[in-house]
Amino acid sequence: MTLFWLILMNCLIMKMIFCLIVLLIKEADNDDAEHMEEDVDGDLADIEALNYDDLDSVSKLQKTQRFTDIMQKVEDALENGSENSTHGIVLEDDPEYQLIVDCNALSVDIENEIVIIHNFIRDKYRLKFPELESLVHHPIDYARVVKKIANEMDLTLVDLEGFLPSAIIMVVSVTASTTSGKPLPEDVLQKTIDACDRALALDSAKKKVLDFVESRMGYIAPNLSAIVGSAVAAKIIGTAGGLSALAKMPACNVQLLGAKKKNLAGFSTATSQFRVGYLEQTEIFQSTPPSLRMRACRLLASKSTLAARVDSTRGDPAGKTGRTLRAEIHKKIEKWQEPPPAKQPKPLPVPDSEPRKKRGGRRLRKMKERYAITDMRKLANRMQFGIPEESSLGDGLGEGYGMLGQAGSGKLRVSVGQSKLAAKVAKKFKDRSYGTSGATSGLTSSLAFTPVQGIELSNPQANQFGGTQSTYFSETGTFSKIKRT
Amino acid sequence: MEYLLPTLRKKQEVDSLIRDTLDKVLVLRFGLSSDAVCLQLDDVLYKSVKDVSKFVTVALVDTTEEEIQVYLKYFDITYVPSIVFFFNAHHMKMDSGSADHTKWVGTFQRKQDFVDVVEEHMVQGCKSSLCNCRRYTERQ
Repeated sequence: MTLFWLILMNCLIMKMIFCLIVLLIKEADNDDAEHMEEDVDGDLADIEALNYDDLDSVSKLQKTQRFTDIMQKVEDALENGSENSTHGIVLEDDPEYQLIVDCNALSVDIENEIVIIHNFIRDKYRLKFPELESLVHHPIDYARVVKKIANEMDLTLVDLEGFLPSAIIMVVSVTASTTSGKPLPEDVLQKTIDACDRALALDSAKKKVLDFVESRMGYIAPNLSAIVGSAVAAKIIGTAGGLSALAKMPACNVQLLGAKKKNLAGFSTATSQFRVGYLEQTEIFQSTPPSLRMRACRLLASKSTLAARVDSTRGDPAGKTGRTLRAEIHKKIEKWQEPPPAKQPKPLPVPDSEPRKKRGGRRLRKMKERYAITDMRKLANRMQFGIPEESSLGDGLGEGYGMLGQAGSGKLRVSVGQSKLAAKVAKKFKDRSYGTSGATSGLTSSLAFTPVQGIELSNPQANQFGGTQSTYFSETGTFSKIKRT
Repeated sequence: MEYLLPTLRKKQEVDSLIRDTLDKVLVLRFGLSSDAVCLQLDDVLYKSVKDVSKFVTVALVDTTEEEIQVYLKYFDITYVPSIVFFFNAHHMKMDSGSADHTKWVGTFQRKQDFVDVVEEHMVQGCKSSLCNCRRYTERQ
């Protein structure tokens, strides 16, 4: 009895402890939620953002201390200009390097934040103009357009020049005239405009950060900027999330950093750019002829990955490796553009002096077997000594049968045998049955009757070999397919 | 056409060429370089010389020269241009549809015709006991 109570008490205690633990975790979760929203996990934010109404509950980055700190430092550094700190200091200890590392992380965060805000704006604006999100993909462009259009129902009064390419403006105007949206209430509109402002502010902050990183690029990653130029180097380091992250990436990923998604809206994909990212903006890429661009891009990606790896370990602070790699790239691209060597007309070979290449092997043997002489024909070719052979027309006229069917021949019965050639031809024609679903006979009509009523003509040759013709033991059949059940 | 293909004017030159061409078909064109038909033939010969150079030598013999008259009499050359084929110093005879099998009279219409004729000479020359060039007719 006491044992039973002991167990029960234990269970209760375990339950309580379990509940406590769950509570603790939940609290910890709530603390982490802020960080998670800033982090890459946009999914969690989406789920949480489903029941939001306020912008601030969604995007918190601008309010964080970290953000403001870094922005302040960046602005200071930009004002001070580049002061080349002594190279004697180990890179990691240099405060500016730390700042640059932080900037990289921040730019990634800003980008994610922009995506979240974009979702927010999109959800709010969906009531007004649902089709806009599928026409304008880029979040910043979308924010700008939303801000411009605001609550306007007639798009001819709105001037979108400069925000979008003219083709898309046209499509947008046309779609707006037939949209199923209704004007937004005032407070929702205000929130949306706020969100757009915030997105644009974040975008400008990101630009500032990138400018700063770019100006310091020669110091951080000399080899990489020697190959692709400092602007592009800054961008790809920013997108990769740091120099060491970039160094860990395979070259194929580096090639695609910053690649834009396909733009639709009636544009055919025949002219769309191939898969290049920020590398497209490099000087080397722009100066190669279009036919070689794909190869050049791959070459660039691989060499810049090498340079990034050198840079991440500070193996060559002077940038010499980068310059040699760049020279190598130039040389290779030059080589590709050389015309091929002129073709020399060759004199004809001496007739019959080259040996004919005879093939052998199983395949050839099997192929020859199909045309080989069958046993029946062999027997028919031979004759027995002293015995006149039977012939097809009798009396020595017509084809002779030789030893076929004679008493003296060793075989009791000569069968037709499996003619491999015939089997192969039959199989080929069977495989080619066009469009007959299920019914194997070629005499079924394809008229549209119900399956029960289908017309089938009777095959006059069906009973030629007598009785039921089983395909399993058929002499002209081929291997059967054994289906796995 | 003298400057494009080797032209022979002396008997001694012709002799040495015939003797010295080993394992190759020797094509001797007897004719005048001013004759129209001859010019056409020379053109065809010149165009194909590069292609068949592995098994053919081509030379032009000027029939107006004194020393060459001996050859004209020997080969019974009356019509110009005429081509005589040699293989390993042996005169090759060919049935070209006319009565005369010892030479080819006239011009070739196309380069390919000439190449065919000469290839056939090569094959026959190799097949015969005249040469010891290897041929892969049977499986090795």
